[in-house]
Amino acid sequence: MLEIKNLEKVYPNGHHALKDISFSVPKGEFLVVIGLSGSGKSTMLRCINRLHDPTGGEILFNGVDSTKLKGSSLRKMRSEIGMIFQHFNLIPRKTVMANVLSGNLSRTGVLKSILGIYDPEVVERAKKYIDIVGLKGKEKNRADNLSGGQQQRVSIARALMQNPKILLADEPVASLDPATSHSVMQYLKKVNEELGVTVICNLHFLSLVRQYAHRVVALKHGKLIYDGRPLEISEEWFKTIYGEDAVEVTIN
Amino acid sequence: MQKIIKRKANKQVQIIKAFILDALSWAYIALVSYKIIYEKIIIDVRYPEFAWKQPIYSLYFGIAVSIIFFFTNFSLGKGLFGLIKIDENDSATSKPFAFLGYLLIALTFLTGFYVSQVSIKEFFSANGLEGAKRIFTALIHPNWGIFEQGLFAAIETIYMAFIATAIAIPIAFILGFFAARNLMSGNKFAFFCYSALRAVLNISRSIEPLVWAIIFSVWVGIGPFSGMLALCLHSIASLTKQYSEQIESINDGPVEAITATGAHPIQVVWFGVVPQIVLPYLSYTIYRWDINVRMATVIGLVGGGGIGNLLMQYQGQARWSEVGLLVILIAAIVWTMDWASSVIREALK
Repeated sequence: MLEIKNLEKVYPNGHHALKDISFSVPKGEFLVVIGLSGSGKSTMLRCINRLHDPTGGEILFNGVDSTKLKGSSLRKMRSEIGMIFQHFNLIPRKTVMANVLSGNLSRTGVLKSILGIYDPEVVERAKKYIDIVGLKGKEKNRADNLSGGQQQRVSIARALMQNPKILLADEPVASLDPATSHSVMQYLKKVNEELGVTVICNLHFLSLVRQYAHRVVALKHGKLIYDGRPLEISEEWFKTIYGEDAVEVTIN
Repeated sequence: MQKIIKRKANKQVQIIKAFILDALSWAYIALVSYKIIYEKIIIDVRYPEFAWKQPIYSLYFGIAVSIIFFFTNFSLGKGLFGLIKIDENDSATSKPFAFLGYLLIALTFLTGFYVSQVSIKEFFSANGLEGAKRIFTALIHPNWGIFEQGLFAAIETIYMAFIATAIAIPIAFILGFFAARNLMSGNKFAFFCYSALRAVLNISRSIEPLVWAIIFSVWVGIGPFSGMLALCLHSIASLTKQYSEQIESINDGPVEAITATGAHPIQVVWFGVVPQIVLPYLSYTIYRWDINVRMATVIGLVGGGGIGNLLMQYQGQARWSEVGLLVILIAAIVWTMDWASSVIREALK
């Protein structure tokens, strides 16, 4: 489904964020990326949907090298990859419904979307996804008045509106409290298992990793240093990934 | 390695800057001391001669003195550009180089008083007080006979300001996006457009609306239209700047999120940028209308129509009672606009 080959990213300021990263993700997998802050996790995720442009290597998405795409074919590729963010990144002052509908922008004409005209079928679909993330009845609430966990669920519904083949999640629970974190992870698991969407998720907490991941890759200083099962991460690997002084923190 | 070279080059630039600052400061001290303190205050020349050799000699003097002092702690430039080490516990204001700063400030004060011809004697002269009393008496006995005339002129002013703002809004709204660095730094052409637009805006903003009104009153004739055009132009320039600064300070998150859904760039702006800027825009725009009403009054003075025009006429005829009424009207408008705009802006928050 997704194959990353020798991916390189050097920022204009000279920072070498990704160094020769290669791995592939089969369809339906729940892949978790771990590593310290600044290890390149976010950059890698953003290279996959080209929010950042890689400076070298290839990313084969369904057999097409997405690093070469431009204009409308780039937008088409992005529309097949959903993304959720640490800070939710919802449209401020807009309702839950408006935010979820914005996931359908790539399939709506520019003028139609500006005038706010959506097909009834699209609105129905939006309602269905709002229902799936457990926010039924909150369609008309302003999204920025919801709690953090609820906002993240709105953003999951927005991503689902795209009918994504892959869902990228950049630290989806890093600004949530432990209880809410589990609830959001549960929804991601549900999306992965019931809708068959491949999930690539950046996480900090190893306890969450062990619970939800099918497979783990670890980055350190922009290099891929681990690729394997979550339960195989030993104390030794942990020290390698997070440094000698690191102590594991669990959330339950 | 590159970084070290860069840091070295950087330090050299700082040294040059510091030296230039020192030389200019000393040249300024020399010139002001000679022209004001020596010529005017000490020997009181009635018609002092100006020759270009005076500033040039001062500059030579400045360079010479700063070469001497550059190696001591008396160098202001070295102090300001961080080339003199200051202890954290020690305040910079007590260092030797600060004294040069104090000297500059003291001299500038003295010159300022002299140039503005501050004179206590004139202020309290019997003749002057008599004239002031006459005008003030007339002002507090306004002629209510011209109330209607004044009111109509005031309404003209308010509408003029309103139309100037209204026309400026859509133009500034669109230009605002092109003047926002974060939206326009994508490629070279976009950045060129951004720089060109910024330059044009800065130039048109730096020319006072009063000057524009004079230009337009020749162009389209004396009257509200020329005043409106002047205000409109100034409003476009100011609003575009404020709008674009607002766009530059938005949160990138929603923009990223909408881009990630595969939306068209126009949709990204509409859904990612616009919702974040609507409220500040409204607030700026109402404030701009408020400013425009006040400016429209002043612009009337140079033939821009409205109440300012009327004020100018009566003032020219020294009819102070009529002027008094107009001043009351203007104060009422300004106060009302001020109050209304602050209430609306508060409600928008």
